[in-house]
Amino acid sequence: MALRELSSLEKFLGLKKPNKYSTQGDKKVPVLQSNNGAPLVGLVTIACHLVKEAKRLELLGDSAESRAVVQQWLEHRVTKLDGCTKEEMKTILKDLNLYLQDKVYLAGNQLTIADTFMYYGIHPLIVDLAIQEKEQYVNVTRWFDHIQHYPGIRHHLPPVAVLRNRIYTGRHH
Amino acid sequence: MKLFVSEGNPHCLKVLAALEVCGVQCDVQYVNHEEKVVPFLSRPALPALLLSSGQHLFSSNAICRYLFEVNGQDSSELCNQWLEWEATVLQPALLEALHIAVVQGKGSEVSKVLQGPLNSLDQSLSKGNTPYLTGKAVSVADVVLWAALYPVLSDSSLALGECKCVKTWFDRGAVMHSFQSAAQKVLQGKGLQGMKSFMQRQPAPRSSQCRDTQQCNSN
Repeated sequence: MALRELSSLEKFLGLKKPNKYSTQGDKKVPVLQSNNGAPLVGLVTIACHLVKEAKRLELLGDSAESRAVVQQWLEHRVTKLDGCTKEEMKTILKDLNLYLQDKVYLAGNQLTIADTFMYYGIHPLIVDLAIQEKEQYVNVTRWFDHIQHYPGIRHHLPPVAVLRNRIYTGRHH
Repeated sequence: MKLFVSEGNPHCLKVLAALEVCGVQCDVQYVNHEEKVVPFLSRPALPALLLSSGQHLFSSNAICRYLFEVNGQDSSELCNQWLEWEATVLQPALLEALHIAVVQGKGSEVSKVLQGPLNSLDQSLSKGNTPYLTGKAVSVADVVLWAALYPVLSDSSLALGECKCVKTWFDRGAVMHSFQSAAQKVLQGKGLQGMKSFMQRQPAPRSSQCRDTQQCNSN
């Protein structure tokens, strides 16, 4: 999973030569063996490295505050979202939904790799949501739909149908 | 900007130490463990940093990284890697260790969950052959890992196996005034017991059996 995400990121960044990755441990943590120096370990670490290599620093956030917010969501992705239980999943979606209430992107006013990697991580959860649940997390699905249609992001993942008009308008019918 | 912390919360030790090391001016407010500071999170999350943009940072590592960046020290790739290792490998083991030692009172069983991560840290330090994790100077990675390990490594009653390089490296941080002062604020001079009321409110950690022991900086 992580390796496919990194290869999708490489394509999005327009990196010409695809890197070779290996994995470490039962959790299959990605490892990037570079020609010079020590290997880089970890999804977030390697993703930030690739962005720098492609000289697309704006994808890491355009101010110190945005950069901190980007790193926070990347950490959230690998510590909370990955391997979460069904119960935790509901809390994650509920919190994210509230957070995205007044936002188009996770950090600042432009796409960053926080959007990319939260999108990759949350994709399997969204696939499993029933229509009613998608409406319950309407801000998450709006953001999700925006990111999956953002040029060059989706790559290895199938598109998820998100209804743009509400069928269920609330509890009172 | 304003920093919210609570007494007895080990994550707060990191940000208070980082604040002292960087010397950044910031309001610090002490609140209860259960205080909801970050409006969009269902569970209380401390420490939290309220930024001038009105946004909240709720991850202690992101807060430390931000304080260092404001202070003119961007984190290097090696730093990034240590921070990711801390969050994904060390932190779950540490929380389990603290739960065993503080809530269950079985200090002798702590090494079972912590020895793996401590050994990989030791290996990296001995291979790296530098006084600090990322080179010759203190970086955000050192501050985060020192603070994370402070409660367990400064308690001699926990029978942790000999990790010579970790000990030498840790002692460099433990003697710093910034750490003494941050630890005093969080642990109140009570050592591990200072975290009891915080740890009792945390959900019991999932067992380490299903967790892997990822190594940082190794092949």
